[in-house]
Amino acid sequence: MTKEMREHKIETPKEKQNRHKAMEAKTVLQKIKHEFKEPPKAMDYFYNLYESVHCRHEPLHNDKIKVGTMCIQVPAEIVYALDAVPIRLCNGFYTDDEIGSDFLPSKACPLVKATVGQFASDNFSDKPDIVISPTTCDQKAKSGAIIEEMGYKLFDMEFPRTKESEESREYWRRSVRKFTKELSTDLGKKITRKKLKEAIKKVGYAQHLYHKLNVLRKNIATPILGVDMFLVTNAFFFDKIDNWIEAVDALVQECEQRVEDEFSAAHKRSPRIVYTGSPPIFPNLKVPLLIELSDAIIVADETCSSNRMFNDMVSVDEWFVNDMIDSVADRYLKGCTCPIFTKNEDRKRRIIDLVKDYKADGVVYQAFAGCQVYEMEQRSVLDAMEKEGIPIIYLESDYSPSHMGQLTTRIEAFVESLKNRRRKR
Amino acid sequence: MKKIKDFINKADIRRFRFWLQLFFFILFIYGGYFSINLGNSIPVFSCGYDKEVGGMCYFLPLQHQLARPLDVLFSVASISVLIGFVTFLVWFIVFNKAWCGYACPLGTMQDWLTGLRKKLGIRYSTYTQPQFDKLKKIKYILLAIVILAPMAVGMGLLGGEWRTAFCSICPGRMITPLFVGDVSQWSLDFSTKSAMILTTLGLVFTGLFVVGSFIKKRFFCFFCPMSAMHYIFSDAALLKLKKDGDKCTKCGDCYTVCDMQIKDIADDVKSTNILRDDCILCMKCVAACPEDDVLHVDFINYPIFKSTKGGFAKRMQMDELEKKDD
Repeated sequence: MTKEMREHKIETPKEKQNRHKAMEAKTVLQKIKHEFKEPPKAMDYFYNLYESVHCRHEPLHNDKIKVGTMCIQVPAEIVYALDAVPIRLCNGFYTDDEIGSDFLPSKACPLVKATVGQFASDNFSDKPDIVISPTTCDQKAKSGAIIEEMGYKLFDMEFPRTKESEESREYWRRSVRKFTKELSTDLGKKITRKKLKEAIKKVGYAQHLYHKLNVLRKNIATPILGVDMFLVTNAFFFDKIDNWIEAVDALVQECEQRVEDEFSAAHKRSPRIVYTGSPPIFPNLKVPLLIELSDAIIVADETCSSNRMFNDMVSVDEWFVNDMIDSVADRYLKGCTCPIFTKNEDRKRRIIDLVKDYKADGVVYQAFAGCQVYEMEQRSVLDAMEKEGIPIIYLESDYSPSHMGQLTTRIEAFVESLKNRRRKR
Repeated sequence: MKKIKDFINKADIRRFRFWLQLFFFILFIYGGYFSINLGNSIPVFSCGYDKEVGGMCYFLPLQHQLARPLDVLFSVASISVLIGFVTFLVWFIVFNKAWCGYACPLGTMQDWLTGLRKKLGIRYSTYTQPQFDKLKKIKYILLAIVILAPMAVGMGLLGGEWRTAFCSICPGRMITPLFVGDVSQWSLDFSTKSAMILTTLGLVFTGLFVVGSFIKKRFFCFFCPMSAMHYIFSDAALLKLKKDGDKCTKCGDCYTVCDMQIKDIADDVKSTNILRDDCILCMKCVAACPEDDVLHVDFINYPIFKSTKGGFAKRMQMDELEKKDD
């Protein structure tokens, strides 16, 4: 026995947590990498990125001020314009979910629990210097206070629960102006016209690239899998934006080539799925993986960890600081299809439009057990789909590795029924 | 063909509009110098008090015609009134409200004032929604003045100075002739009490026009009776602004850039014909729409300009990364 082996080393809780998280991440990455047809070469960047950040826990933004965000409504453009990096803290780790369970009701949403859990363990590769918590859903709004009590610097950003009225628009614009002012004071940076314009255009370019990639999925020979797309969009949570842009640029070119070669990431007869509901966040890609392992392919999604992050663009009429801030504010409210709003006709219209536009065969609606708003909106979405004659399945899941058998059976049956339906047509 | 379409859909509409507006401005204000006369049934404010006008605003002849005694007005002698009106309709029906956004000299002047404000780095102001809803009704009151005041003169209820009552208070009467060096309109008429009131109002409105359109985009167009008149016939027009609500995400980008603050453009997902009474058909909304095919301008049901993802990115300069200087 060597000396090192004899020396009894006790794993610290942090090391244990990291080891568990690395295992979770690794398992998912292995599945995505090896259980499908060959992924695009440009995806290697993303696989490596996840291995570095989520398996080896290497920091990405050592030299920058990090602004943690609890929801997509925090305007990234403004954070970038203040020379800081936005890092979205919505968390997909079961390890953190279990830690967070001690702080929240047992029936709370796993995403919120995991987010709180990460704060509780104070274990970040890129620790946020300040946390912005938009008052979107109840659980997120309330967990902001819990996190603040743990000793983090937190800013509550008021977000309206309706979006149709002019009052809510004005209210949110004011909220964003206040946020800009306070963040600017806090970071000791002044927001300038040039910086903000640059930031808007950079984020706009990232969105433009995403759209370019996304529309390729309309092709019958869809060049990229849904799980790969989730990795790409999830990476926007924390990656350096310039690197992300470069990687997606390469991915777009490769996928365009694939479209030309009529290469399909799935099979010719794989049913095409639109995915909606609670956001799949790495490594909780359980349901998307099950869908695509059952020989279906996700061609479009309506979730806040993916499409909704990129869909709506900022349009500015006159490039003055105040106008730009207002236009940026509009982007995060007006087009948002989050179920926290009182009514949500827009979300239904959007799903129907996606089904038609991406020639999908069916919709998978997934809600986290405890994600009240998605659970509550389920029935009305199901009704709307029924009216349009679109097959839809509603699934409830959480972050735990159990219940896989039941989910698999239901998804496989749904995919099979879609195949049958196609044959009959 | 696809290439041409693609080119149009990605075009920088602002530049196209600037040059077209300049062209029409010269045509209408200085047309006389080139012996151009497009008649006097033009559906924009190309003021007839401008001696070199290249085509006269329909309201000046209309008011004169309506001021005839009633029995003359409704007799065969008024066939010329009808002809004038039909000519007006023909002009209007082809281009719909694009007359406002592209040809109206008064509109163009406001856009230039906006340009000046932008150069000075001053931010524009907007109305709140309740203010907007109230103010937009004023143009119908003004339209009533255009039509009823001369008729009342014809019936002998009002004095002759009310014949062109609207023209007396219209800022176009004082401002337009300035461009050909004519300052004769800049005076108050003390001949009668009501003439004095009208010309004073004219001076006030002219001041408001200049100040208003400096701080508020297209300030005057909210109150324009010609715009109200247009709207009555706009359903019959060949050029149309259309919307495919199913694809709209209600992101409000179109509403943000709209000079006229028309909320329906973003929020109405039911109407296909989305032209509203305040619209000036400047097509800025179509240019600012980030979704494919949601907004489009049709000429006899044939789309000539459509919103596209690519066009949006190009116009917002988001289709390529900016080159860093350092």
